[in-house]
Amino acid sequence: MKKVQKEKLEDLFERLAGDGVLYLPLEEDGVVNFAPWKKGARVNLEALNTVLPPKRAIFPQTETYMRFETDGKKLQIEQVEPVEGNYFLFGVRPCDMAGIKVLDKVFLDEPEDDIYSRRRQAGTILSLGCNDPHVSCFCSAFDLEPGFAPDADVALWDVGEVLLWKPLSEKGEKLTSSVEDLLEDASAEEERAAEEQRNSAAATVAAAAREHGWNVEGVEEALQDMFEAELWDKLYRRCLGCGICTYICPTCHCFDVEDFGKWQEGERFRCWDSCMFEEFTLHASGENPRPTQKERVRQRFMHKLCYYPSNFEGLYACVGCGRCVRQCPVSIDITQVIKEVGGVKSGS
Amino acid sequence: MKNLQDTIREIAAQSLARGEVELVIGWEKGDLWWQSYPAFIEEEKEADRLIWDPLCVPNLSRYLLQELSEMDEKKIALFVKGCDALAFNQLLQDNRTVRERVVLYGIPCDGLVDPSKLEREGLDRDLQEVERDGEELVLKAAAGEEKRVPAKDYLYDKCLTCRYPNPVAYDQMLGETVPVEPEERFTGVRKLEELDYEDRFSYWAEQFSRCIRCFACRNVCPACSCIKCVFDLQEPRWLGKATEPSENAFYHIIRAYHVAGRCVDCGECSRVCPVDIPLQELNRKIILDINELYGEYDAGVDPEQEAPLITYKTDDPAAFTES
Repeated sequence: MKKVQKEKLEDLFERLAGDGVLYLPLEEDGVVNFAPWKKGARVNLEALNTVLPPKRAIFPQTETYMRFETDGKKLQIEQVEPVEGNYFLFGVRPCDMAGIKVLDKVFLDEPEDDIYSRRRQAGTILSLGCNDPHVSCFCSAFDLEPGFAPDADVALWDVGEVLLWKPLSEKGEKLTSSVEDLLEDASAEEERAAEEQRNSAAATVAAAAREHGWNVEGVEEALQDMFEAELWDKLYRRCLGCGICTYICPTCHCFDVEDFGKWQEGERFRCWDSCMFEEFTLHASGENPRPTQKERVRQRFMHKLCYYPSNFEGLYACVGCGRCVRQCPVSIDITQVIKEVGGVKSGS
Repeated sequence: MKNLQDTIREIAAQSLARGEVELVIGWEKGDLWWQSYPAFIEEEKEADRLIWDPLCVPNLSRYLLQELSEMDEKKIALFVKGCDALAFNQLLQDNRTVRERVVLYGIPCDGLVDPSKLEREGLDRDLQEVERDGEELVLKAAAGEEKRVPAKDYLYDKCLTCRYPNPVAYDQMLGETVPVEPEERFTGVRKLEELDYEDRFSYWAEQFSRCIRCFACRNVCPACSCIKCVFDLQEPRWLGKATEPSENAFYHIIRAYHVAGRCVDCGECSRVCPVDIPLQELNRKIILDINELYGEYDAGVDPEQEAPLITYKTDDPAAFTES
């Protein structure tokens, strides 16, 4: 295993930024989000979860993919290249890495989404293990480990003065050799420290999961019979219908396509959509199969905990990052739903 | 003295039992310490779900928009803090609720706890419960440990500047009125006013650039009570769906103007914003301008009072045309 001294991070960032766009958690006005690094930027590797997940680098909130222009009866169409070149995602938490894997299944499955696929390939992901999970973290409910993201290209662990560095993929190996002069060999002691941190973080989340009853076993099957359950009548009532939960979610991937046009020219873009909005699935006829907030709230939980796992071999479209639990202005809490659904099952 | 939470439960149970109302809206508790959220109680036996603690921040008045329209002539009881009462009055003035169908139980409020302020100092570790005891907060941890901290340091900023902690509208007041000692609320606005035009523009451009257009600020706002919001129109599509600087600025500026003169300064917009855009400052700038142009006016205090922006007087100042 390798390591990089924290005092050398600035050099490392400069090197990476010279070879592509380097996204990492930057703090601005007290808000920590993944953003392109530049010299003097306030890097915050301590913040557990950025407000928005790093998925934005691969699946931006808004992206133009076509421009058009008319000239009399002639229409000219130009495709906009989605890939801006290499990029690095540095400091991705294991839950967020798992979130990217959830997106991969959707966008890389046949028919492959070209825009997503090209962006995904252009990136190298360096994940950072969590040492100190928050009380709202529940990744272990989905068999994820807070201290380790097996799907990243490089795994990092913060053990005080240094970040331990372990390449996990071919891309990761390549990156490692390109910055070799900034890395050193990790000592056995440091490796042991990282190991201990991993175990303790996992134990913390697992204990919370036990305490709060966050057990997703059987939730997918139980929900299949719960389309008309009373649960939704209760849950939606306090929902404000805002899009916070969906926009800060590392697995949400619904998008809309719209044109921005001037008189004879314009562009077509896609942008995140949210099942919380009244316009979501509104048909051209004016009919909406989800006419009230009840159906929309149900859709959000059904998609994450029932439809998605039914489509992708039981994989849940929730990674337990806890963002929605923390940010919902009226505390609509997916762990409560999991608990209640589990409860319905075991009680019947 | 009986505590407020017991009183709340008792009153809710009574009014449901007597058939005075068919729905009581209050707050209940989730699994995690900061989760105090709106509760909808329709049966007497459910009244014990209701709670009162220093985290009962969500404004309940707005729920009348959905609950009254769905319930014909049924009556609803609502627990209102100072800010909820202002919100209720504004809905009344905007003709979006019906006074006779609502029973208001007033709760004098000495400020609510901002969870992020506790988190910033690591005081959320193992926290189970937060209680208010006079000028202090009692932080109760899992192992029965207690810690006392000065309450003022951990209240929402909006609570520190609150000028109406005692509800201005109620049918019955629960508990003793609290002293009104607000900090100056226009400090932030004055600071922004000192910037020159370019700097002010770039300040707001930067703030709006973080916007993810989740519409939480609109959806939580008691002054945003339009049946069909202009931002939700497809034909014509005034607000495009792209999150880009001009659309974001358009959204926030138009929204600020739409609630101008009706914003009750409850600060919910700033509280719910996931990316911490200081939206309350934007609305306060307009409040300050209204005060300076038309005389002091506090939306939501008296629904019978003439609102300056919807009242024409021949001697109204015309600041935009006078140079």
